[in-house]
This record gives sequence, structure tokens and C-alpha cells, in this order.
Amino acid sequence: MVSNAKELAEKRLARLMAAMNLEEPDKVPLAGVGGDIVPAYSGLSMYEYCYDSEKALKAMEKFLKDFPCDWPFAASVSGLDGRVFNVAFSEFPDISINLTFITGPMHDALGDKYYRYPGREISEDSSPQFIGGSFMEADEYDKLIEDPVKFIAETVLPRACRNLETPRKAMATMVRLGTEISKFNAMMMQTVGLMQELGYPAMALGGAYAPLDLIGDFLRGVENLLLDIRRYPDKVKAATEALVEPIMNYALAHKNIGATLAFIPLHLNEYLSPKLYKEFYWPTLKEVIVRLVNEGFKVMVFFEGRHDAHLETILELPKGWGVAYFEKTDVVKAKEVLKGHTCVMGGIPMGLIVGGTPAQIDEYVKNLLEKVKPGGGFILAPGVGTAPRETPVENIKALIEAVEKYG
Amino acid sequence: MLEDVLKSIVEMEEEEAVNKAKEYLEGGGDAQKLLEVCRDAMGKIGERFEKGEYFLSELILGGEIFKEIMEFTLPKIKGGSEKKLGKIVLGTVKEDVHNIGKDIFKVFAEASGFEVIDIGIDTPEEKFVEAVKEHKPDIVGMSCLITAGVTSMKKTVDKLKEAGLRDGIKIIIGGGRVDESVKEYAGADAWADDAAKGVRLCKQLLGMEV
Repeated sequence: MVSNAKELAEKRLARLMAAMNLEEPDKVPLAGVGGDIVPAYSGLSMYEYCYDSEKALKAMEKFLKDFPCDWPFAASVSGLDGRVFNVAFSEFPDISINLTFITGPMHDALGDKYYRYPGREISEDSSPQFIGGSFMEADEYDKLIEDPVKFIAETVLPRACRNLETPRKAMATMVRLGTEISKFNAMMMQTVGLMQELGYPAMALGGAYAPLDLIGDFLRGVENLLLDIRRYPDKVKAATEALVEPIMNYALAHKNIGATLAFIPLHLNEYLSPKLYKEFYWPTLKEVIVRLVNEGFKVMVFFEGRHDAHLETILELPKGWGVAYFEKTDVVKAKEVLKGHTCVMGGIPMGLIVGGTPAQIDEYVKNLLEKVKPGGGFILAPGVGTAPRETPVENIKALIEAVEKYG
Repeated sequence: MLEDVLKSIVEMEEEEAVNKAKEYLEGGGDAQKLLEVCRDAMGKIGERFEKGEYFLSELILGGEIFKEIMEFTLPKIKGGSEKKLGKIVLGTVKEDVHNIGKDIFKVFAEASGFEVIDIGIDTPEEKFVEAVKEHKPDIVGMSCLITAGVTSMKKTVDKLKEAGLRDGIKIIIGGGRVDESVKEYAGADAWADDAAKGVRLCKQLLGMEV
């Protein structure tokens, strides 16, 4: 328990909101590191972290106490993206919102082929990993276009999940999945309590997805989809359009839990040329974002890899729509392009935190903040929040101290 | 005819490229010459990528077209005594089960004339050491997608040092999460986060002009 927890949480939230609203906060907010280092710092294996919620919560508490930041975005849940399940359940908003993260126990219940979990398919110390795969044939686009929810729920998922192969198996699996959802929700409640005790803002996070990513990650596989774009462009485009409604349905369901921020992690953005991006990816993603903004959400988009070639398209969104979180795109350049329009997030290469020295980190943060701090509208964050197990803790401390000094 | 094959591969006209290549062979064309043309095409795709004209999707599609043509071209090439540019032992490092980056690099490396020994994903340090002992490569290529792979890369380089194998090889690391600071940390000789740059650097590491 932090003595001035409430005050601290309010201060941190104000800082974040100021940045998101393109104002200058009292200090540049820091979204801290998380990932594998969180269990490692408490001597836990990744397996324990993914499967033992009591131990996981304790590890999270210890980490967040010792490495404070404004927004522990990366240090909370240990689940993998389950957007295909959100869509499959999108007609049932109360269920759908529970499947944004597929935890280790949910993965066991489903027997899916999308994920690899420590202590299951991979060693106990490995990070949980998303693999995806191909669970739809190229000649099935018409079925996807005609009724995406039916096709995903009734055709794709039984192929992608061993325990949904037959209706009989599916009955038992759904009961088990429900049990795991209840346990996960109980853990989330405890996490929220913990955050409040430690003086962190409680921000319920919603979610949505880029329609083309849904096809690439969960239905066709990335390589197949890239070939499909060339071979059957009209079908692919029609499929992205058909997926907008189910994605919106699940995204808007988050209103019921008081979420005001919707998170959209992108995947195929850096794979596509501007021509393909503007034709197959951006139109439906833009529609999803704009509709969320119209419904009162702020949206946070994670632009994986290099988004340089598509940076200007962000300006097509309404001013103040939300946060553009960049991985490898130069945030100085991005801020130049997007200032006064979009809050920019990112800036710290994970390689620096893993392999650099405290002095190098201090110097790097000083130089970066000199450029991006003026005018506000910036959240400092690691390009990818997942810090490996061996990350030197003195480097995480150095990052926090540098933001204290120069933020 | 061969010029058409080259052009259609570079322009990503999949069907056209495959058909023209088949026609060429059926008309009595030289499979070895076809192979060389396909390699040139892959080199040109790589160049366009590095100029920012092409993106990852073109690298992947180019690789697919190349593989499709090779399927019916390679069996027609006799001997296999062709001189390779060098030998690369390639794997995704321990605790990382992703193969997409490794596989794209592999196609481009092979297309440019390297012999590639693919030792798979989630590869323990020892397996890299054994593979280096067994195959005596010029280059070891390590790939990772997740950040945990970064530390696995360092451990693998350390193991190669311990085994006294480091001096005899060049090490290149690749993948979405690597950069200059990861290269320094891991103790590699070069890094790339795309296949085109990766292949160019492999040639440079072996002292070839590119």
C-alpha cells in the first residue's frame, strides 16, 4: 500500500490524459516495461506466471512497487491476443469482451493451434507466443463474406481448436472455458485493487482489430493472405468490409465495463506498400477507429514495425482521436508529422534496456525528451513493452530516474 | 523469353512468371540459365525493397514465385557441383518458435547463391555449436521475433565462443526486434531486420563487393 495512493493515481491519470488530449502535462508520462522480467524478478518461471494467478499477482505487485511508472501498460496481464474469439462471440457482448486475452488455462481448455504456452508446447521459461496459422481455404472467402461470425464460429474454430472439433467436445470445452473466464475475471478484479493500492490509474481497456489482420493472423495465415491479396483482391477486400460490423459489435461491448480507451495492435501494416495499405488495410481500419471515436472512445493503435511509409494517413483521422504507439518508427519524425493532431507514444528501443548501461540510457532519454517533450502530446514507452528475463534491473531503474530528471 | 520471366517475377506477376518459365523449359530451354535469371530477379526485388519501393509483402510474394519456379526447374539441373557463395547455418534461437523471418531470409540467401543449412526454431545454444562443428559454415544466422530471443542470441554467441568456434565464423542476427544495440549486446558481426539487407550483409561479411 502506498500512503498517498489515491493522490498519486490521480496525478498519473492527469498526466496521461493531458498527453492524450495533446496538452503539456506536468511531466512526460512513462508507460513502463513489463513482460518476462516481471516473473523473473520474483524468481518465478514463465509457466508459474501464466498458470498460477496468486503467484502472478504477487510478482506483479513486487515489480510495480519497485519499478514505478505512470502507466504499467505492459506489466499487467499475461495472455495472448484472442480477437478471433471476440468476433466468434460478438453477438453475445457479455461473453465477447472476456476473450481479448487467451490465458494459458484458456488455451488448455480450447486446445487451440494459435498459441504456444510455457510448460505446454514450449519450455517453462519461454514467453507465451502467438503463432497463428491457416484454418481457412482460399476458396472459402464467399462464406466468410456472407456471414463472417457464422463461418468463424462454426467452421474456422473447430479446425483451429482441437477441443472444438465436434459439438460434443465443444460443449465440455465451453463449460471449461467459462470457468477459466471466471477465474481470469476474479484475477483482473484483484489486479485493479492492486493497482489502486499502488497508486496507479484504473483504466479499463477496450479493444478492436484491423479487419485484414484478423484474416491474416487467425484465418488464412500471413503468407497466404499476402498471396490472396494478389490472386483474389476483390474477395479479400469484401471480406475486410464484412468483418467491420462484428468487430464493432465486440469493440462497443466494452462500453458496459466503462472502457473509454480501445486498444488496436496492428500487424500487417509494415508488410504492405502504401498502395496495398490504402486499398486493403486502411479503409476498414479507419472506419473502425472513426466509429469508436464517434462513440466516445479514445483509440490507441500500436503500429508494429516501421510505419514510416503510412504515417500521413493518420492525419485522416479526427484530431485528438487517440494515441499512435510506434515500435520502430522514429518518434521524433512522427511527432513532427502528427503534432497537434495525435498523441505519440514510444521511443525507447528494448535493445538499449537489455544491453545498454545506465549512463547510456540516461543520455538517450535526455536527448530524446529534449526533442519530443515541448508541446506535450507524448507518452514515453518502450517500442515493445516485453522485457526479457535477463534485463538488468539497474537499467529499468535508470530509465525511471532519467524520466524523473528530464521529463 | 527469359527476359519476360525476369520482368514478371520482379513485377510480381505470379501466374505470368510461372507460365513463362514452364514454356521456356518445355521449349528446350536451359534450366541452369533459368535459375540464374530467377536469381537476378530476386536480387532486383531485394534492391527495390532496400530503396523503399517494395515492402515485406513483395519479398514474401517474390519468394513464393521463386519457390514455385524452382520446384520444376531444380530437378532439371544436373550435377549440383555449382560453386556456392558460402555456407550459412541458420536457425531461430532458443525459446522463440517463429519461423517467418528465418524462412524469408532463407529463400533470398539461397536465391543469391548461398548454401543454407536450416536448423529450425527454438534452437538450443548447443545445437548451434554442433551444427557449426558439423557443417563448418562461413556464417551463422540467428533469427528471433520476440524480445526474449535477444538474450538467447547473446547466450548462443557466448556458447560458440566457449567452444572456440567464434573466430572462424561471421555471425549475423536478424528479426523484427533486433537493432544495432542488440548486435552490440549479443556480440554479433551484423544485424538486419529484413531479408534483403541480411543477404547483402552476408556477402559483405565474406568480403564480396555488393
